[in-house]
Amino acid sequence: MSAITATGLQKTYGDGDKRVEAVRGVDLDVERGEIFGFLGPNGAGKSTTVRMLTTLMTITAGRALVGGIDVTADPHGARRKIGVALQEAGLDLRQTGREILTLQARLFGMNPATAKGRAAELLELVELDDAADRRVKGYSGGMKRRLDLASALVHEPDVLFLDEPTTGLDPASRITVWDEVRRINQLGTTVFLTTQYLEEADQLCNRLAIIDDGRIIREGTPSSLKRELRDRTGSDADPTLDDVFLDATGRTREKLAGEVKEVR
Amino acid sequence: MTAIARSDDTVSRRDAPANGLVKDSMILGGRAVREALRTPDSLLPTMFIPLFFLVVNVGQAARIFPSSDTPFLEGQSYGAFQLPASLLLSASFGAAALYLVEEIEGGYFDKLRAAPISRMALVLGRLYAEFLKTAVVATVMVGLALAFGIRIASGVAGFVVLLVLVSAWAMVFSGFMQLIALKSRSAAATQGASMVFFPLLFLTPNFVPRDQLTRPMEIAATINPVTYVMEACRSLILHGFDGAALGKGFAVVAVAMALMLTLSVRMVNGYD
Repeated sequence: MSAITATGLQKTYGDGDKRVEAVRGVDLDVERGEIFGFLGPNGAGKSTTVRMLTTLMTITAGRALVGGIDVTADPHGARRKIGVALQEAGLDLRQTGREILTLQARLFGMNPATAKGRAAELLELVELDDAADRRVKGYSGGMKRRLDLASALVHEPDVLFLDEPTTGLDPASRITVWDEVRRINQLGTTVFLTTQYLEEADQLCNRLAIIDDGRIIREGTPSSLKRELRDRTGSDADPTLDDVFLDATGRTREKLAGEVKEVR
Repeated sequence: MTAIARSDDTVSRRDAPANGLVKDSMILGGRAVREALRTPDSLLPTMFIPLFFLVVNVGQAARIFPSSDTPFLEGQSYGAFQLPASLLLSASFGAAALYLVEEIEGGYFDKLRAAPISRMALVLGRLYAEFLKTAVVATVMVGLALAFGIRIASGVAGFVVLLVLVSAWAMVFSGFMQLIALKSRSAAATQGASMVFFPLLFLTPNFVPRDQLTRPMEIAATINPVTYVMEACRSLILHGFDGAALGKGFAVVAVAMALMLTLSVRMVNGYD
């Protein structure tokens, strides 16, 4: 059984002239144990797809199964299977790190003692034990990300959704998050990761899909996508994932006034 | 970071039973209470602004309504007549909604929505805290009123009923404000909307009993549901246990609560 299956997933906002098709029929099949990358330019439909798969947004048309559970028919069941860390590190700034994790564990049905133990374990895991009893308001961006990641793991989900988990982080914090994503995955958790950083996708993902304008336009392993581009263009040099992305999305790079700009 | 170690109780964590509505609401309510304790400055206006109005209104009108010569005061001072208005004002700040907007904007609300908890608990959690906060503030206000010679005619039991009624009203008011917060997702719009509800507190028999209002004001007060909550509170302070007044007051709160919860759950379920 696949970890994630989506068939003809669509999301439409508004009516008439104001109708916007954010996602226009996405099909996905993510195997258990994979780290699956979901790439695309801003506004391509990445976050909307993640929000539909995680029950945070209604699905206009199509069907999605996560951990074998239909997210529309049984959203509660699906929520027990997934962990979610969205673009904005969703944290309550007035609580301490320990309180946030304990609360999250309690909401997943753990008794107070188990929840407290799980919080301590996760704080150690993300190396926030020293800051555990400080309010989150005083945490750095990297600390907030790590805490957010920890809070998505309290119930040891089958599938972890990470929506741009390293956006805004310094390089050292980014590598720390990558390491943790690998470790989580090695323990059997499927990871569905959206990112704008192609290097991140290249480093972490077994397979990836590129979405643009609400449709998936490339899908495969990083190496197969690069090979396909090299074969198609007859290039001597090995293409990078950046080249694959720019080719797929129809964007090009132009050097203008000393700056490299991505244009369509 | 250190490597993850899965401990022996992994299965119990993964398969822990769902909490249910009451437990989820209590867990989220506990968090909101902790939040209130950490931001005491947000509680101060809910106490001092109503006390300010109480002092000003009594100062302006007490000589017009001497207790010896005013039957509707039932032997008490004019402050006793005004106290319910101040209690209801303190219950009508809707701070919970502003915290909710903050959570929506910061993404924590989505984190909670992604957890397998009752949708109604997402609404009730903060309202439960609002009930407790209002009960504490109302206790302090009544304590101050007692120090100035006001009596609760219905005694200790009546005082408890008064706290329940005022605190339940705070839940209703905050709940409607939360609805606006969920719809608008904007602090400015939520704060602005409170100005729409605010006049309801003044289209009531605020200064004199309903039968002594001008005809247009009497009609407005009779239509306004807040009137019946105020009259129920007033009956407990001035008169004792008045079944009819209390019945109407609690009925208004119950109907408004049912409406608010129904709309809130619909709103959370359809929230994209």
